[in-house]
Formats: sequence, structure tokens, C-alpha cells
Amino acid sequence: MKVLICENSIDGIFSGVYRAYASRYGHNNIRLTTSDALESFELFCEYEEVPVDPECSRKVADTLRARLGQEVYYDICQAISAGETEKEQRKNMNKAEAVYKTVVLGLSMGQGFNVLNCLGNPYVARVFQLARSAGNEAHHLLGFLRFSELENGTLFSRIHPRNNVLPILAEHFVDRLPMENFIIYDENRKTAALHRKGSGYLLAAVPQADEEFMNRFSEKEQEYRQLWLEFFHSIAIEARKNPKLQRQNIPKRFWPDTVELK
Amino acid sequence: MTLMKKLNILSDAAKYDVACTSSGVERGGSGKGIGNCIAPGICHTFSADGRCISLLKILFTNECIFNCAYCLNNCNNDVKRAAFTPEEVCTLTMEFYRRNYIEGLFLSSGILISPNYTMDLIYQTLYQLRYVHGFHGYIHVKSIPGADPVLVEKVGFLADRMSINLELPTADSLRRLAPCKSRNTILKPMRQIQNSIDASKQELALLENRLYPGRGELAHWQETPRFVPAGQSTQMIIGATPESDFQIMSVAERLYQNFNLKRVFFSAFVNVTENSDLPALPGGPPLLREHRLYQADWLLRFYHFKVSELLSEDKPDFNIFLDPKCDWALRHLEFFPVEINRADYYTLLRVPGIGYKSASRIVKARKQSVLTFSDLKKIGVVLKRALYFITCSGRMMYNTKLEEDYICRNLMGDKTQIPREIRESGYRQLSLFDEGMIAPDSSASFQKIIGV
Repeated sequence: MKVLICENSIDGIFSGVYRAYASRYGHNNIRLTTSDALESFELFCEYEEVPVDPECSRKVADTLRARLGQEVYYDICQAISAGETEKEQRKNMNKAEAVYKTVVLGLSMGQGFNVLNCLGNPYVARVFQLARSAGNEAHHLLGFLRFSELENGTLFSRIHPRNNVLPILAEHFVDRLPMENFIIYDENRKTAALHRKGSGYLLAAVPQADEEFMNRFSEKEQEYRQLWLEFFHSIAIEARKNPKLQRQNIPKRFWPDTVELK
Repeated sequence: MTLMKKLNILSDAAKYDVACTSSGVERGGSGKGIGNCIAPGICHTFSADGRCISLLKILFTNECIFNCAYCLNNCNNDVKRAAFTPEEVCTLTMEFYRRNYIEGLFLSSGILISPNYTMDLIYQTLYQLRYVHGFHGYIHVKSIPGADPVLVEKVGFLADRMSINLELPTADSLRRLAPCKSRNTILKPMRQIQNSIDASKQELALLENRLYPGRGELAHWQETPRFVPAGQSTQMIIGATPESDFQIMSVAERLYQNFNLKRVFFSAFVNVTENSDLPALPGGPPLLREHRLYQADWLLRFYHFKVSELLSEDKPDFNIFLDPKCDWALRHLEFFPVEINRADYYTLLRVPGIGYKSASRIVKARKQSVLTFSDLKKIGVVLKRALYFITCSGRMMYNTKLEEDYICRNLMGDKTQIPREIRESGYRQLSLFDEGMIAPDSSASFQKIIGV
């Protein structure tokens, strides 16, 4: 058995998939794993690290889009962007392996765009599960994310997501707020999405964030926060008070980043 | 009066309106202006009662010339009154929307001076929001009963969803509790909105058919105004009047069929006016009853059930201990067990524990391979409910009996039958009943618990 170790990113895993095909060992004799996986080395296995190669990654992405369709490609990317806790990693199949075998199955099928419907297949089921968990969090954050207006009029938001959902969020808010300058800062991954009025967005690594800059709010900011708090409290019906249901609907981990529940 | 004070009074006055959904319309941003809509809607936060906050839900004013008995703002009540100006509503909406607090605006109103005067104020607000501020987010607006059809039409082209509250399930109750409203002033505009929605859809469909790749026509199609694109909804109050669940659900079914409504909302009655015509509810609002009605509403809209299958004159109320689908399945054991690998989609929909999403996943997945129970679990089927009713390749999951009593006893052990939020907020009386009392005729104990 040959084991390819690839980086835990879209480019990394796609490079791994490319290498697995190119090596011609046969799909049954080869296995992918991510470099941060918690597995111990096995006897009678040959390990090889696959470097990230943007060119290979692009080729795989093009093939997936052409043969499996845009939707499947999108779901696979979402699955790769899912973040897992150690416990989940131990319990479940490795992400890279699931993606690799799903791609192999999809490309061997007559109608590749159907591949994610084959939920009877354990690899597909795993990709489906990962994509769903990342997609759910992204959808939550579309609502739970809060912008604050900084002194210079820029909207700033700080989030702590489990999955790497920044691209999905940025896409949504560029469409929604085209004439605003905004920054969404993922503090867990130290990356930010930056958007300038009337243009697209870009993702940037922010190893050292300027805390002071992020806390200089505009004059009006406090006023609207107060108005929002007022609204938030008066809209609740006392006779139906139900903190458990509230916690179930907006899980506690999202609370610190909101205005009304922090 | 400060904006803060107004917001306090007018959101407090709006809180008994149920619909806070932002779903039903998909609209990309315009590249200028602000806002877009996505079809499933987005919840922005959840208030202390656990209900979703998606829209800025406010009344334009809580002054009112009507005297509906159940309403806090009726003209005989001594409450603080306030009114926004259109500019204030626009500023609040825009600033909240920019900060991603809300998905749009929900604007309702008490009746100031006359229905037409109020409706015109609402129209002005919406017009400013759409054309002065370039707002493309979601707007849900209440149509004022008795307003001129021309005004309703004009507002409809600016809003995404319109609703007119049915308030109470029967005309009798309405006459008794809301003497200024009548079935006629409610159903007539409802019909008008339905007709305008249809006309608008047809116009768009015609344009679409004529569409040549020429750019001018596409732009024309895109710019054609849409009338209430997210459809209309309504709501009624549950528990203020003596109607049975059967009557309520039949009304809802007729509204879906005849008026093509997107949603019918139910609101558990909260006694705020202490009017002698209204029931006192010592046990709090009838939340479990509301929950069962919503479950049944889902069965109508997504599961192809009919009200006549769920309830009848002889059995007019829902079982409090079991959800309507389980209840139906137990009374129709002749349909079961269902073979997962062969049964058609509509049969799968009727199995307790299989939702419409899992049903369609099953139908797709079994084309590729034979499904087993562990696959079903991954697909999202709730096996603890479904296992009594299904087979995979001819085998049941465990050795179970297809008997009403046996399955009923086991399903009752499933704690999700009575949702946690209700179980833990004052329905502890349930533990007083022992299992023997769970006879099909539970309407007496039902009424005791919900306090009708």
C-alpha cells in the first residue's frame, strides 16, 4: 500500500489526487491522508509527501468541473474546507481519502454529476457529511455575522468559525453590499476577506492584526447598537420565554461575536 | 419622543405578529444600491422566546381606530402611543441592514385616521426605501383591511411578501372579537393579491417566451416589476375562541387551495388585554397545540396529506402525545411495513422518521446500490421512529411487532415527541398520566392541559 500525504487545503488535496492518478499504482493500492492526520505509521506501507502544486490542482479542478459539474465541484470544495476536531478525526475516515475515492467513483460513472447521490458508498457519505457541516455553518454565519462601522466608514466583522467558510461569506456579502468597504476577519485562521467599494474581494493572511484599528468605531456605531439591543429585547414575548430553544437555535459558540448576546 | 423610545413601543406592539420569515424569493444584488435575497431566507438571531428574528418587525404606528378584543393596541386600551415617520423607518432599516442585523423590513400598522391614510403612509415608506435608498432586501408588509385596492396594488409592486391576517378561524369568532373587521374586508384583498400575483407571473412568462438573445429584451424582462414575488401569507390566533383543530386545519387547507397562500401561520393566544370575552389561560399560551398545528401544516404542504386523513368530525383534535404523522401511521398499519429499496417517493413520505429530504435522498441513492439500515442513518432518517415501519431488503431492523399498542408504547418513550422546549416549560403534568391513560380519545385530557 502506498500512502500519499498531502496538505490539508483544496490545492493540497487536489495535488494529492493528481499524484495518485499519475503514479499509476492503481486506485486500490493507494491511499491519501492529510499531513495533520492523527494516524500512526503502519508497517508495509510506503509513505510519500506530495508538495502543493497549483498547476496540478488547477488541472484536477478543471476536470471535476467539466466531468462532474459545477455543483459537485462546489460540494467537494466545501467538504475540504470543513474543519474537524481531534475527536471527529479519530472517529471518521480521513478527508483526503474520502475526496480521492469519491473523485475516482465519479469519474468512472456514466453520469458523474450523480456521484454525491450514491450515499450508500462510505466515501461519498463522508464527503456529503463534511460538505453539509461546512455548508450549515456558512449558512448560520450569513445571519449571525455582525458588522461594526469603523471610524473611516469601513464595515468590520470578526468571526470564529470551525470550518473555513470565509470565501462563501465574502461572496455573499460582495453581492449584498457592493457599495461598502468591508472586512471580514476570521480570527481562528488569521485570514481576512477585504472588499473595496465597487470591486471584487480578496483573501489575505493577517498574521498580526492591528487591535487598535479594529476597535476605533465611528460615532454613530454605539447609537445603532443600542437601538438594536432595544429592539432585540422588546421583540421577545415574556409569556413564551424559552432560553433553551434560543440556545438550540443560535448555539452558544456564536454568541461572543454578536452584538445582542455577548 | 426619541427614536429609541419609539422603537421600543412599536416593536413591542408588533411582537405578536408571527411571520418573521425572509424566504421565497431569490434576487441577486444589483451591483449598486444595497441588498439581495436568498430563497431559503436567513435567520439573523433568536430572541429570548426562541423565535427567529429575521426582519425588523415594527408597526408604523400603534394608534388604532379599531377595537379588536385580543389586541393590545385596540382603541379602548390605555397604552403609550407612537408613530414613526417614513424617514425614520428607512434610516433604521438601512443602518441595521448594513450591519447585518436584519434581512429586511416587516412593516405592519395600527389604523391611523383611516385605512387608506395608513396604507398610503406605508406606501410612501416603501417607495422611499426602494427608490431613494436603493434597498433591494426583503420587505414583508401587512395589507390594512379596508384599504383601497389601488393602494394595495401599488404597495404590492414594492414588497416581496404581503399578508392580511385572518385573525380568527371562523367568521363568527371574528364578529365577536373584532367587530370592526369582517370576513369580507379580509378575503377580498386576499383574492385581489392572489389575482395580481398570477397576472404578474403570466406577464413575466410571456416575456420569457418571447425572449430573444438580444440584450434589450433581457433587460426589459429583468426590469419588469414583480408583484409580491414571495407570495402572500396569513395568520390566525389559536386558543382565543373554541374552534377545534379540525376546523382550524380545514380553514388552512382551503386557504392553500383556493387562495394559493405560501404560508398560514398560527399564533398561540397570549391574553394581554384581560377582556372578559377572552379565555384566561393559567397554564400559559397553548404552545403544544400550536406546535401540533404547525406539524400538520407541514404535512399538508410537503407531504401530500389531506386534513381529512389526519382529523375528522369524530376526532377533531390532535393527539398531544404523538405527532400527527405517527398518529396517522398508527391508525393505518395496513400500509406498513414499507420496503425502502422499492417503495415510491410518496409512500416513503408517509413513514414516520423519514422527512422529505431523506425521502428524495433515498430515491436517488438506491439507484446506485441497495440500501441498508446503516446507510439510512447516514442519509438522515430518524431510525428510532422509522424502524417500526420499514424493511431493508425484506428485513426489519429489529424483531418488532406490527401492533398499534406495541409501537405506540415504544414511540411514547421517544422524548422528541413532545419537544423539549415545551416539555420543560410547564408541561410537567404529563408525567401524572400513566401509560394506560393514553387512549385514542385523549381530547378531554388534551383540553385540560392546553387550558381551552
